[in-house]
Amino acid sequence: MQEEGPGEMPSALEGVLVLDLGQGIAGPFCAKLLADFGADVIKVEPPGGEAGRSMGPFFHDDPHPEKSLFFLLLNLNKRGITLDLGTATGAHVFKELVTKADVVVENGPPGHLASFGLGYEDLAQVNPGIIVTSITPFGQNGPHSRFKGEEIVEYAMSGIMYFSGSTDREPLKHGGFQAQYDGGLNGAVATAFALLLRDLTGQGEHVDVSLQEAVSSTLVLNQPYYSWNGGVQGRRTPGELLWRNIMPCKDGHFIAQDGGGASWDDIADFFGRPEMKDPKFSVPDSRLRHGKELDQIVLEAAKDRTRHEMFRTACEQYRILFGIVQSPEDLANCPQLAYRRFYQEVDHPVIGRIKVPNKIIAMSETPCRYRAPAPLLGEHNQEVYTGLLGYRKEEVVRLRKLNVI
Amino acid sequence: MNRLPLEGVRAVESSYVYAMPLAASLLTDLGAEVIKVEGLSRIDTTRGGFYGGATPDNVPGPDPWNRTSTYQQLNRGKKSLVLDLRRDEGRRVLKDLIKVSDIYIENFTPRVLRGWGMDYPNLVKIKPDLIMVSNTGYGHGEGPYSQWPAQATTMEATHGHCYVTGYRGGVPSKVGQSFVDFLSCWAALYTIALALRHRRRTGKGQWIDLSMYQMGAYWVSDYVLDWIANRRLPERIGDRHPWRAPQGCYPCAGTDQWCAISVGGDGEWSALCRVMGRPDLVDDSRFATGPGRLEHHDALDQIISEWTKGLDKLKVMELLQAAGVPAGPVFDARDVNANPHSWARGFLQKVAFPEEWHMGKRVFMGLPWRFGQEPFQIVGPAPGLGQDNHTILRQLLGYPEAEVRGLEEERIIGTVPAEPPAVPKLTLEDEVRLGRLAYYDSDYKERLGI
Repeated sequence: MQEEGPGEMPSALEGVLVLDLGQGIAGPFCAKLLADFGADVIKVEPPGGEAGRSMGPFFHDDPHPEKSLFFLLLNLNKRGITLDLGTATGAHVFKELVTKADVVVENGPPGHLASFGLGYEDLAQVNPGIIVTSITPFGQNGPHSRFKGEEIVEYAMSGIMYFSGSTDREPLKHGGFQAQYDGGLNGAVATAFALLLRDLTGQGEHVDVSLQEAVSSTLVLNQPYYSWNGGVQGRRTPGELLWRNIMPCKDGHFIAQDGGGASWDDIADFFGRPEMKDPKFSVPDSRLRHGKELDQIVLEAAKDRTRHEMFRTACEQYRILFGIVQSPEDLANCPQLAYRRFYQEVDHPVIGRIKVPNKIIAMSETPCRYRAPAPLLGEHNQEVYTGLLGYRKEEVVRLRKLNVI
Repeated sequence: MNRLPLEGVRAVESSYVYAMPLAASLLTDLGAEVIKVEGLSRIDTTRGGFYGGATPDNVPGPDPWNRTSTYQQLNRGKKSLVLDLRRDEGRRVLKDLIKVSDIYIENFTPRVLRGWGMDYPNLVKIKPDLIMVSNTGYGHGEGPYSQWPAQATTMEATHGHCYVTGYRGGVPSKVGQSFVDFLSCWAALYTIALALRHRRRTGKGQWIDLSMYQMGAYWVSDYVLDWIANRRLPERIGDRHPWRAPQGCYPCAGTDQWCAISVGGDGEWSALCRVMGRPDLVDDSRFATGPGRLEHHDALDQIISEWTKGLDKLKVMELLQAAGVPAGPVFDARDVNANPHSWARGFLQKVAFPEEWHMGKRVFMGLPWRFGQEPFQIVGPAPGLGQDNHTILRQLLGYPEAEVRGLEEERIIGTVPAEPPAVPKLTLEDEVRLGRLAYYDSDYKERLGI
């Protein structure tokens, strides 16, 4: 196991209070990243729970609001309260919370909070230092800002889908919810810089994160290419060279790449095929021309070898740039991820003990720290309303009777 | 914006390819001074070859290594210092530079800096409040993979993305252009901001140890958790959604033109039917419920394709968005560069090159977020190799002129690579013929107004 610092390490976001109005993936992930590094994050959910609680998969496939695996994953380390922002009383209570807070994270449609009188301007009036981080598909302004987003729509309009997949088929979306995770991380980045700037100016900011722009930012080959010579990259032609792409082996798939620390001779030795040292393969331009022949040699050499044996041998002995297609099961059992303390054992009051992916970054002085499982719906109502806001218990009961919490 | 978050902050970067060079460039948008350090024998990979992208107007110019599209996008706004770090004199200058800087960003394999006695424990002795970012494939330390070489293009298989990506029922698919590099880039920015905040409060620096593998794996962590909780492995579902239906990429008028459409609840479904001029479908019992639409997805794909195939992709977007149905065209590089929305928001910016480069203006991508309405402004194009050697050594480090000349004679510094990278000789027609480009616009400058 990698060393973990002594127990009493400081936190980078010590003393920062965050109100997390996020729902689904992007907003909650942003707030989780702030919580990981020491911010006190209070998740503010509508009385019926946020959308993430109804997102599958669920623990043991039981669609119980406390058993969404997305919710479990993205809400570690937070406290949770309920509050109906759509009511005048709820909006009033929220403003009281904002007077105590440093950051509000939200990922509703642009104008949604303002329609409750809780837009950035409204909140800045009660707390000029407040940072409101809004994560949306297309940002707060511009002709497409009111468009409805979805993972595939954000992917399509980012430009990345056009060259993903094969020319004889439709453009191919990447699996999963990459745009949402990208947006969550960028929300945390922008929030951290807004906090730095606030140290200098005392002023808060309306932080405006666009998922489409986050995904587009990855097009560092494709976007400038057009601006340099007008060229537009497309998808792969079917039947194109397999070398440097996903190739089958005995028990799955691998991918190898020339370049890096290994010579072509090393690669030939790794595959145990001296005929690969022939100049028709060893010279890069010629290699492309004899691609089909090269593919046959490599496929034959790999067909009786396993992924993990090839991976270890290629990396350790030959220093070849080499990857294997790993499944979620492989990742769950990966010794390197265990070494990096990627997983956290969580003791959840409804789910029980479970291993959850958690730590993505190692910082030496202010490490990512686990404090608590995802909150149950309204779990910290009493603590927050009486503790932080100083309400009397009867007042909290009244809010409950009014269905505000 | 009156002030930028990183005014007065200086960063030194000796890194290659995508992740850390881009992170350092984005720091310049935020107000930092960033000095890129390269050796004449080890220039950044994006200065030529495949990773370099294009030369301007397909003309290499006298110094093609300064002009490639990818190098420029990833190094905009920086200063350039050349140092041969394989030699003591070069490393001595780098140490002097780190002493007067706040941040050092690098992506050497773990053993390199250790070998030079320039890993964090050693650097912190000469610069006690240093913030250092190290980006590697698997992270530093003694883990089973820690010393293994890695690059994003092979790693996307290892960190699980290829497994979950692919056409329905098909084999695992690559996910494109070094996706995980950008996760590391953003993580570097996040932790730099956190570390600066901590340093402001305590006076202490720290070391940030980024592992691309760990970042990439988190981006599929919902699937990993499904395995842990339910022992379920995902199927590859192409452009479909696990629970929304119909969803897909539908062919539009023209060649290789597509629009993505995603329908969730019953309201969006009946809106789609109305827009398609097929109100009859609302009453079709096969499609009346979400589960029904998932079950009859193939039939729905056919119906929707029939409607989209005669329409412009932008028209499909407009009609459906006006009706409250998520829809957006598949943008290619031309569309991305022309997107009026990105121009209105200042995500795309025209950056002027110095007169003597004869490159005019080019379009760059800025930060994917802003404070208020104002985008952060790109400072300028990427520097020529070693363009700031003299200013940095003389003015910033106060070296005497004779010493700088000595470094030049020893080829510790310089401005011309030891082996200038090969310039691709393919014409755009060749590239189209070879399948490396889908097409090209010879009038791209007019289209972009550059």
